[in-house]
Amino acid sequence: MLKDFRKLEDKTHYICNQVLDMCIKAGTGHVTSSLSCAEVLVVLYYGGILNYDASNPEWCDRDRFVLSKGQASPILYTILADVGFFPKTKLAKFGQANGAVGVHMQCDVAGVEITAGSLGHGLGIGAGMALAARMDRKHYVTFVLLGDGECHEGSIWESAMFAGHHQLNNLITIVDRNWLCATDFTENCVRLNPMDEKWKAFGFEVVSINGHSFQEIFSALDGFRSRRLHKPLMIIANTVKGKGISFMENQPLWHSVAPKGKDAKRAKIELSKRGE
Amino acid sequence: MASITMRDTFFNKLYEIAKNDRNVIIISADMGAPSLDKFRRDLPFQFINVGIAEQNMVAVATGLALTGKNVYTYAIMPFASLRCYEFIKVNFSLMNVGVTTIGVGSGFGYPDSGPTHHSTEDISALRALPNMTILNSSSNLMVEKFAGISYNMSTPCYIRLDRGLLPEIYDKNENFSNGLAKLKTGKDLYIIATGNMVDQAFKVVKKLSEHSINAGIIDLYRIKPINTKLLIRYIKNERRIVTLEEHFLAGGMGSAVVENLIDNGISIPIKRIGVPDKYYYAYGNRDDINLECGLDTKTVAETILKWVKKI
Repeated sequence: MLKDFRKLEDKTHYICNQVLDMCIKAGTGHVTSSLSCAEVLVVLYYGGILNYDASNPEWCDRDRFVLSKGQASPILYTILADVGFFPKTKLAKFGQANGAVGVHMQCDVAGVEITAGSLGHGLGIGAGMALAARMDRKHYVTFVLLGDGECHEGSIWESAMFAGHHQLNNLITIVDRNWLCATDFTENCVRLNPMDEKWKAFGFEVVSINGHSFQEIFSALDGFRSRRLHKPLMIIANTVKGKGISFMENQPLWHSVAPKGKDAKRAKIELSKRGE
Repeated sequence: MASITMRDTFFNKLYEIAKNDRNVIIISADMGAPSLDKFRRDLPFQFINVGIAEQNMVAVATGLALTGKNVYTYAIMPFASLRCYEFIKVNFSLMNVGVTTIGVGSGFGYPDSGPTHHSTEDISALRALPNMTILNSSSNLMVEKFAGISYNMSTPCYIRLDRGLLPEIYDKNENFSNGLAKLKTGKDLYIIATGNMVDQAFKVVKKLSEHSINAGIIDLYRIKPINTKLLIRYIKNERRIVTLEEHFLAGGMGSAVVENLIDNGISIPIKRIGVPDKYYYAYGNRDDINLECGLDTKTVAETILKWVKKI
């Protein structure tokens, strides 16, 4: 567990650079979608939030982390390897022939709860897991990370209604609010705002934060295991897609693209300075 | 004729199972049944109504199943299977999660409701999914056994329940593990039927006998995976095969039979009979719709007779 923010920054720096290297090598992967949720994932996995046992991925009392925005697979795979769920050598063949991990999440990888890539599935699955915990009087907490573009899926709102109705206060949902979907800004495509009001109306407690601030992420999660409010928690993490690489930040055209050639060199130089 | 519906037969049996296993959960997309009222009353923590939200039904079922629950989803057939098809693909089939999907209203089982409620494509769609088992019900005894079979499965299963009351054609000792059953031997041809069309096959066979055609009947109640070995054993020396289903021909049970036989080098003249490639804004009762689409007893028998004369 790393409570020291400097150490968390170092870890974020390491993970992000691994992600970039891996995607450059593979020539594919959602770099920008991974970089926007880096601090959130680092807090969950290294900040003492998630209960997990890398040597026993199926441990029945583990907290569940459902990566619904499955295109952020590069960063979750990198973290899972780093914390010991599987050897880092597996990452060397990311997205390549004979590789065991690819551009979207697959549930046969240790530490991964669901196959994801098709959007709109994770919240309902997470709600089912949270409901099961309540039925069985288990104390694990279920976390779901959504993309904001993913919130265009109607199924998200079916599941939001369900989670709100059942008052699943053991369900923590985080939206990686990077303001971009695949081809455009979310608000140009189909407006998502006021996002906080929408989730409130569906029965969630809503907290909006800077998703790159460790302080704000920890604050939003304060007391999450003993929430008295009978509502699921929604953390809207405002982030920057492609954070740390200036020419990729907030650029729709860099969705699902790994930089090549000169762009790759520049991206590596810039990202190596992320957090400085 | 059965005195209660397949739906109530199934849920009555599942209720008995669920009373002894609190991990059995039914999720309904706002569909009721007299037999489910008992679930709500006696086992309220094992019954969830998600409302008319089939995608979420599948997702929640997946989350529950991944934490050790034995989950059944339940809705009118086209909504249980097709409305949430991609969710079934990713969550049940791709992740190989052992949830059982219960669809009520095979074929024209909702005859007064029009084509939105007809289920004439679901076999084709679900058959394309790896890991999926498809069971199609032709008898209440069968349905009761399907409750037990699905309870013991750890892979996804899709059970089609007819909405009508069908005559019982099996005896109590049948365990329905073979996937198909020879119900009548024949000499001139065999009709392979599924679901409510098994009952129709008996009527057609009677009609054919008036024309000196001695036809046998096979009930193919497990459409995926087909018990190819037993199917071939039953028909390899037969002269002609007819498949009969209240479902579109494209990708339906008949297609599955043909694919299995061709892939195993079996060459027998086969005629597929099912719902023509169009939708029917037809109402009234089920017989009326079957008359309109050529699946009534007389038309099916005539179709077979014409075909027999040609080959």
